[in-house]
Amino acid sequence: MGIGDRVVARYGGPTLIRYLGRRALQAIPLLIGIVTLIFLILHLAPGDPTAVWFNPNIPPEVLDRMRVNMGLDQPLHVQYLRWVKAFLSGDFGYSYTQFRPVRDVIGDALPNTLLLSGTSLLVIFGVGCAVGSVQAVRQYRLTDSLLTFATLFLYSMPGFWLGLMLILVASTSLSWLGLPVSGMTSVDHSLLGPVGKFTDVAQHLVLPTIALGLASAAGVARYMRGEMLEVIQQDYIRTARAKGLSERTVILRHALRNALIPVVSLLGLYLPLLFGGALVIEVVFSWPGMGRLMYDGILARDYPLVMAASFLFAVLVVIGNLIADLLYAFVDPRIRYE
Amino acid sequence: MTWPSALWSVTLSVLFLAACDAGPPRGAETGSAADSASEDQAERIAAEAYRQAVVAADSVAHEQISESSRYGGTIVVAGRNDVITLNPLVSTDIESVQHQAHVLFTTLVRSGPDFEPLPYLAHEWTIDPEGDRITFHLRDDVYWHDGVPVTARDVAFTWQRVVDPEVPFFNPSYFDAWEAVEVLDEHTVRFTVRPRSNLLYGWAVTAIIPEHILGDVPPAALADHPFGTVSPVGSGPFRFVERIPGDRWVFEANPDFPEDLGGRPYADRLVYRQIPDDAVADAALRTGEIDLIVDANPASAQRLSADSTLVVTSFPAAEYALIAWNTRRDPFTDPRVRRALTLAMDRESIVDVVRGPYGSVSAGPVGPWHWTYDPAWEPFPFAPDSARALLEQSGWTDEDGDGVRENRGVPLRFELFFTPRQAWMDVSTIVQANLADVGAAVEPRAREQASLVPMVTSPDRRFDAFLVSWARDVPLDDRDLWACDRVDDPMQFTGWCHPELDAVLDSMQFVSDRESLRRLTRRYETLVADAQPYTFLFNVETVLARRAGLRGVGADARGTWASVTEWWLDTEDRR
Repeated sequence: MGIGDRVVARYGGPTLIRYLGRRALQAIPLLIGIVTLIFLILHLAPGDPTAVWFNPNIPPEVLDRMRVNMGLDQPLHVQYLRWVKAFLSGDFGYSYTQFRPVRDVIGDALPNTLLLSGTSLLVIFGVGCAVGSVQAVRQYRLTDSLLTFATLFLYSMPGFWLGLMLILVASTSLSWLGLPVSGMTSVDHSLLGPVGKFTDVAQHLVLPTIALGLASAAGVARYMRGEMLEVIQQDYIRTARAKGLSERTVILRHALRNALIPVVSLLGLYLPLLFGGALVIEVVFSWPGMGRLMYDGILARDYPLVMAASFLFAVLVVIGNLIADLLYAFVDPRIRYE
Repeated sequence: MTWPSALWSVTLSVLFLAACDAGPPRGAETGSAADSASEDQAERIAAEAYRQAVVAADSVAHEQISESSRYGGTIVVAGRNDVITLNPLVSTDIESVQHQAHVLFTTLVRSGPDFEPLPYLAHEWTIDPEGDRITFHLRDDVYWHDGVPVTARDVAFTWQRVVDPEVPFFNPSYFDAWEAVEVLDEHTVRFTVRPRSNLLYGWAVTAIIPEHILGDVPPAALADHPFGTVSPVGSGPFRFVERIPGDRWVFEANPDFPEDLGGRPYADRLVYRQIPDDAVADAALRTGEIDLIVDANPASAQRLSADSTLVVTSFPAAEYALIAWNTRRDPFTDPRVRRALTLAMDRESIVDVVRGPYGSVSAGPVGPWHWTYDPAWEPFPFAPDSARALLEQSGWTDEDGDGVRENRGVPLRFELFFTPRQAWMDVSTIVQANLADVGAAVEPRAREQASLVPMVTSPDRRFDAFLVSWARDVPLDDRDLWACDRVDDPMQFTGWCHPELDAVLDSMQFVSDRESLRRLTRRYETLVADAQPYTFLFNVETVLARRAGLRGVGADARGTWASVTEWWLDTEDRR
């Protein structure tokens, strides 16, 4: 059986579809549980969505009318059933605080968060794996020690603090770099051509991506270093060297790929952390994404918005885990879907 | 009339205002129940002169820059909060309301420096001798940005919607004396009114909305209509260009804005950006990403003012901070205790720590921003000894020597609630130390707003005391806070009321001449000061930090954007 056949056996045809189908079915009770839990936590927590309009100039009758408009005068189970019913028909309702359909609010913000999280994910695994591998290859040498210090240092930095420091440095001693410290686009963005637009967003991405990704990248690097060291001592690496393969081939083809197996499983672990981190980093960098939406929404008790956003995050994490499992099988031929 | 530009000298401005004052608001001359505009003319002219002086002083060095070379560039303004909607029917936040009244839309009238009504969309108005009908004559040269003229029907439509019970308009009291409307012709509209102080004020802050766009929308659907958030069409000096939600609003100059109302604004484009983090806003100002921070953090303002490329200014805001005592509960049932607690607080230090130079100790509900404010009205002094004596008198003594006073075995110990903001943490720390000195134990408790508000507004009032600051409105209608017949209503936190105050607050809603309103306000302050249901902490000044190249920003309590058409950028600062 050739390699091509094996890939088909593992990735194509009924096996994969059955597997995906089963995972999707498993996700349904999980998601129902998650949204029900969020609904309960939100509604049982003390708080009143009209508190954002706490203001002596607004008469209480107006706020009562707002509560009725929001359906908050109904008993909790009625609110829940209404919400589930609307939700199943794809209607996320209107945001209390934004006067817009939740679908539109999230539709505007989600791509921005995915962009930031996506580039951060590349940094986390790209930089992490590269640094970890270099360290393993240069074990106990100066490079390794310096990188160990750097990764441990970064790993212990809170993302928001790192973000503020980056902003401070970028706006003072590194201001000649011209890196924007807030937002996602420049004021003249709409006047730029396609290339200009791309560069503009890319420039805005630099600092938040570093702030969001660097600490996790340091974590991945630590992990990668350990895995790589273990792999390098395996018999088959010695065999590969004995066969006379170049060091480059040994490390990149034989060692790296095997060391990646456990690291890939980190992906599923890092996704929720990434979205959680984006929540803070987006506030710091005024990034118009889901994190800020959630943050403001939770503080304001914007129930429809928070419910829909939490649901989406839950879906994304479930999908992320699924992808991690698929990747796991991809890098490790011994794993089969059952 | 021409809205004067920054270049005009003080003298010119005074002349201009005198000319303008002799003109339109004829209601004043009839001596009717409406806002009287002729009152205190000299004083008003002086105040306007002052405002102009501020603007003029800023551009003295730039007088050589001719009027015509001020046009151009994009001005980027940043604030902590987003502009949520440009729908005038449902806005409460200051940024949204300001963009409606001054940037995108026009209002029927606008406010002078003392909040007296001046002509805007209505070039004049007349009041019947009986004072029960008011007729507005509208300009015929103002157009919606889609080219349709603004007419009397739009004004009537706006009024019909703000008073519609299905529309959650947040300030219905603006229009509770307005009873009926009649469109006389394209540019004349007549309302039936009842007597009310500040009658016209609602029209200075409520933008006129387009009937030809929103006329068919059911009233209940107006709040969530995309007009406010996606595709607003205004009639003001700037036109809507685009909105990137959570990030920015972009407006461009309206070249067709009537010359008499200021004409085309100087800036080509005006951008509002939300930057929630103060440190980030500071950095963006330094790097030139933004030109102006509205409501800058007082702590960073002092650092920013050291930067020679930046300018920091401030103006008295319609906002004060207070501690509300729950007078339904012991020990706050006793007015002597409340007075003692106020006397024991070192409010000068509190202002120093929290606001730096951008605030002052507050003596009562009316701050320096309001024309009824009396600078001679002194706040209680910081007098710990008097506080101790008062507490002794009212039966609170430290019998067991633990530093906390007791009265019949109950210690003088209570919780102070506030929302988790740095400023409130600082205030509560100082208050705690001050009150410990006189034998009262304070337990500071931070609660986020959404859970604190129900605690203090629900009928069981589960609190001893809470710390808050809020923005007040020009019409001083505080009946919700103090009225005896509203003691169980949400905003009557303290439970304290006084029959005379009820009468005073009621009268304040109906007197028309400013002198009577001043006298009543004094009485209001006296009654509240005696009883101390609140400890008034400080008046707030709004801090503006801008790049030095941004000129003409002459802001006052009417709002930062009131002068937006006069803002211009130095040539080298244009982007």
